Amino acid sequence: MEKGERQKEKTVSLQSGDTEVKDLSFVDGELLEIPIEEKLTAKKHTEISSKIETPKTKNENQRQKSCLQYIFLPLIFLTVALLGGLRISQTDGAFVFLKPPLVCLIFATILLVLFFRSNLIKLDGWFSENFSILKNVANATILVSLFAASTQVFNALLPERGLPFWTFAFCFFWTLWNNLFAEFDTKRLLQSLGGLFGLAFVVKYLFLAGLTAPANNNWIQGIFENPAQEAFTWLLDLPKFAPATGYIQFFTLVFYLIGLFLLKPEASE
Amino acid sequence: MKETHIQTLGISLTTFYIIFIAWLYLVEPKSLEELPTKAQTTIENVTTKTQVAIGTYEVDQAKFNEGLKAFRADNFIVARDNFEKADTEKRDAKTQFYIAYGFYRQGFGKISNDDALFKQGLEQINRVIALDKNFKSDDANLQIKTPVELKNEFEEGLKVTASDFNPLKVLRERK
Repeated sequence: MEKGERQKEKTVSLQSGDTEVKDLSFVDGELLEIPIEEKLTAKKHTEISSKIETPKTKNENQRQKSCLQYIFLPLIFLTVALLGGLRISQTDGAFVFLKPPLVCLIFATILLVLFFRSNLIKLDGWFSENFSILKNVANATILVSLFAASTQVFNALLPERGLPFWTFAFCFFWTLWNNLFAEFDTKRLLQSLGGLFGLAFVVKYLFLAGLTAPANNNWIQGIFENPAQEAFTWLLDLPKFAPATGYIQFFTLVFYLIGLFLLKPEASE
Repeated sequence: MKETHIQTLGISLTTFYIIFIAWLYLVEPKSLEELPTKAQTTIENVTTKTQVAIGTYEVDQAKFNEGLKAFRADNFIVARDNFEKADTEKRDAKTQFYIAYGFYRQGFGKISNDDALFKQGLEQINRVIALDKNFKSDDANLQIKTPVELKNEFEEGLKVTASDFNPLKVLRERK
C-alpha cells in the first residue's frame, strides 16, 4: 500500500504542475483491488480514447474527397469526351468516330467562362501560388478534362451536317452569348444548361431521328415505303445512325451532368 | 495513400486516358475487333518514326530481297509492294530507285509506253533525286544506273514526237 501511495503522490504532483518531477521512466507497484466506481472510470477512459481517433476519420474523408476529385472526376469527364463523338452506323453497326467541329471548341470555351462567372469554379480556389506545383498541375488536368467533355457534349448534341447543324449551332450560340452577360448563380446555370442540353437531346435523338428514313439498299423502294422520311432525310441531309447512338449519347449527357454536380468550386485542401 | 500520391495517380491516369481517346479518334477503328490491329500498326509507325528521329532507321532487308526477286522475275506489282513495305518511310534512295525502275520496266512498250505508269515513275524518280541526287546503282542487271538517266527515259517516253512513228522503234530494247 505504501508503494501505491507513492505512485498517487507522483500523479498528484504532476497534475498540480509541480516542477519537481520525479523519474517516471521506472514505475513500480503492486496489483491492487479496484473498486467498482474506479472500473467505471476506466471504461469511460476507453470511450474517450476512441474519440481521439477522430482525426484519422477526417483523413479518411479527405482521402476519399481527393480520390473523387483527382481520379474519379477526370475519368467521368474523359468518358464523356470518349463517347461524345461516337456514333453507330445503321448499315453495318460499325463505330463512327466524329471529330468535334471548331464551333464546339468555341462553345466549350464560352461554357467554361460561364462556369467561372457563376462561381461553379473559382479560379483562385483551383490555382494558387500557395499550392504545390503538383496540386496545380492536378487541378489543371481536371479542368482540361472538363473542357474536353464540354466540347464533346456539344459534338454529341449538334446534328452532324446541313441545315439542322447551323440551326442548332445558332441556338446554342444565342443562349450561351446571352448567358454570358446575365447575372447568374451556380444553381441557375446548371438548371439552364440542363434545360438546354435536354431540349437539344430530345430534338436531335427523338424528333430528327424519327424523321430519318431507315437505311435501304434500294432508294426507290424507300421512296414508296417511307416517302415523308425519305424527303426529310434528303432535304435536311440527315445522317443515318443506329438507335444505339441515342442510348450512348443519353448516358454521355447523364455522365456530364453528374460530373458537373460533383465539381467543387474550390479544390479540396 | 498520401494526397500527393493520389494527385500523381490522377495526373497519370488522365494523361493516359487523353492519349487513348486522341488515338481512338485518330485511327477510327470500326469495331472492337479492329483495335488490336490498329494498335499494332500504330506501334510499328511510332517505332519507325523514332528510328528516323534518332538516325537508326534501316530498310527491312528481308522485304527488300523479296522485292528484288520479284523485280528480276518481271513481277513489278509484287516487287513495288515489297519495296514499299521494306522502306515505309521512303527514305532509302536505293529502294526508291528500284520502285521507279519498276514503273519504267512495266510501262515500257515496243509500240507505245503506258503513260500512267510513266507519270508515276517520273514522280517516283523525282523523290529519288530529292533523297540523293548523286545516287548510282551498283546492280549489274540494270542498264540505267542513275536517277537522272531514268528521269530522261520517263520524260522522253511521255513526249509525242515524230520519232514515235518510226517503224524501227519496235526494234528498241528495254533497258
